Amino acid sequence: MKSRTRREFGCLTGAMVLAGLAPRLAAGEAKAKVVVVGGGIGGATAAKYLAASTRTIEITLVEPKLNYTTCFFSNLYLAGLCSLESLTHGYKTLAQRYGINVIHDSVAAVDPVAKTVGLKSGPKLPYDRVVVAPGIAFNYEALAGYDEAATQIIPHAWNAGPQTQLLRRQLESMEDGGVFVLVAPPNPFRCPPAPYERASLVAYYFKQHKPRSRILILDAKDSFNSQDLFLDAWERHYRGMIEWLPAQFTGGIKAIDVKGRSVKTASETFKAAVANVIPPQIAGQFAQQNGLVDQSGWCPVDPITFESKLQPGIHVVGDATSAGDMPKSAFVANSQAKACAFAIAAALTGSERQSPHLFNTCYTFLSPDDAVSNAVSFKPVAGTIKIIDNFVSQVQESVETRHQAAREAQSWYAAFTRDTFR
Amino acid sequence: MRKIIAASIAAGSFTILADRSYAADRDAGAQLAAMCASCHRLDVGNGGIPTILGMSPEMLTRAMLAYRSRERPSHIMRAIALSLSDEEIATVARYLAALNRQVRP
Ligand SMILES: Cc1cc2nc3c(=O)[nH]c(=O)nc-3n(C[C@H](O)[C@H](O)[C@H](O)COP(=O)(O)OP(=O)(O)OC[C@H]3O[C@@H](n4cnc5c(N)ncnc54)[C@H](O)[C@@H]3O)c2cc1C
Repeated sequence: MKSRTRREFGCLTGAMVLAGLAPRLAAGEAKAKVVVVGGGIGGATAAKYLAASTRTIEITLVEPKLNYTTCFFSNLYLAGLCSLESLTHGYKTLAQRYGINVIHDSVAAVDPVAKTVGLKSGPKLPYDRVVVAPGIAFNYEALAGYDEAATQIIPHAWNAGPQTQLLRRQLESMEDGGVFVLVAPPNPFRCPPAPYERASLVAYYFKQHKPRSRILILDAKDSFNSQDLFLDAWERHYRGMIEWLPAQFTGGIKAIDVKGRSVKTASETFKAAVANVIPPQIAGQFAQQNGLVDQSGWCPVDPITFESKLQPGIHVVGDATSAGDMPKSAFVANSQAKACAFAIAAALTGSERQSPHLFNTCYTFLSPDDAVSNAVSFKPVAGTIKIIDNFVSQVQESVETRHQAAREAQSWYAAFTRDTFR
Repeated sequence: MRKIIAASIAAGSFTILADRSYAADRDAGAQLAAMCASCHRLDVGNGGIPTILGMSPEMLTRAMLAYRSRERPSHIMRAIALSLSDEEIATVARYLAALNRQVRP
């Protein structure tokens, strides 16, 4: 890394948060090596905070995509309220400002005996520690009729990018009066309020452009996150437009007919003008294939260091983990990644480790200027992670409070993506 | 003798201060401030979420205690203020104030 002038510090505050940490390295001592698998929210945050907290570790981040598009705020894109470009972030700053070696490739396998990570293109990278953050995979076996190929016709849009674009195009070309069928997944899945936020914002779009259209949510569950807040908002903003059918009503989702664009439940078959099927989820494929998951389909981790309980020396953060009460959200991935980065820095450099503070906060849009938030604090307790406090928005809040939350959400997006990618 | 590597992104003046307790305080402050950075831009950025740079340690501490006691409303700030000990609040407040002095020319 080149040295920097004082003038540049003005724009280096992201790095400076951790400026205090840089431990010393004896002359000629070889640097420890950390390889990060996946440059999503968890992986990018872990790489950045490791790099910023110590000069004595060489960090390599492996991510196949040149740019990352955030799932958070992608429902606003579906509603026509922002562009996909505004949700897209590159890796240049992580490479240039923090000296992270960013490789655009996929990791094929990790060899815990040889301590190497093998890239799809061939090379093997040696490591002292690995951080694995591959996000989610879809458990297609659990949903008859729907598979990888089907996603090109009926998108899940549960990874942001081309899938989100496809769904937006289908909504745009749908005729007024059509039914948008959203299949909501069983627990646990990425971002518990997000399917219902999606229904709200698609309803907003319909209200502006296709007011005779309707939304049908076929749920694999009998209840959902912040249900009272959503039901209240749907009544206030979109009366008669959104219908939610729980599993106990339909008997559960049985199959997807991709050609016929319909969803079979135990009681009835529902035909869609546009369908959005969010399949059941498991930890990202890489975690599945490298001995990091247990019977649950997710990766059990140490609640303080996020080291895998199955593979020593390999840490897992983000959606792929099974981390007690922590939900699968970008905020959680970022929070876990920091705790993990400080734990690895401490283990490899002997620096001091503070006890971790873990949080989640989620902003959810009910309409463009009506948003709610929740905030949760967690603590490692007896080998797992428990909720300590949980604060959520209430149904009876004022219009101004909701408006303020929507403004706060926008401000949060800017700060949070900066914290992760810059 | 250990050679101190010139840390490129570390503020130079921080590395000069070799006092052990100061260093420990600074490390703790940096790890706690990382948590703030998930929502607060640690530079100018405002709008919706207020900036926390430019506040004195006393102001920051007072604000945290006001969130903790519900005197000031905010879900996330309340959760954080309750999660941190008094000592941790003081540590992160000192750290952020020092960071602010570094950012200003
Ligand atoms: C519609 C929607 C709305 C959401 N809204 C919010 C919100 O408001 N707030 C919030 O906090 N969260 C939200 N989320 C959740 C959030 O997007 C995820 O929790 C978060 O992205 C998880 O981060 P991650 O790092 O675990 O996985 P990802 O961000 O998915 O990153 C995984 C990365 O790993 C890479 N990868 C996978 N396999 C390999 C391999 N073998 N080699 C190399 N790289 C690999 C992938 O390319 C990907 O870039 C939302 C999600 C959705 C779907």
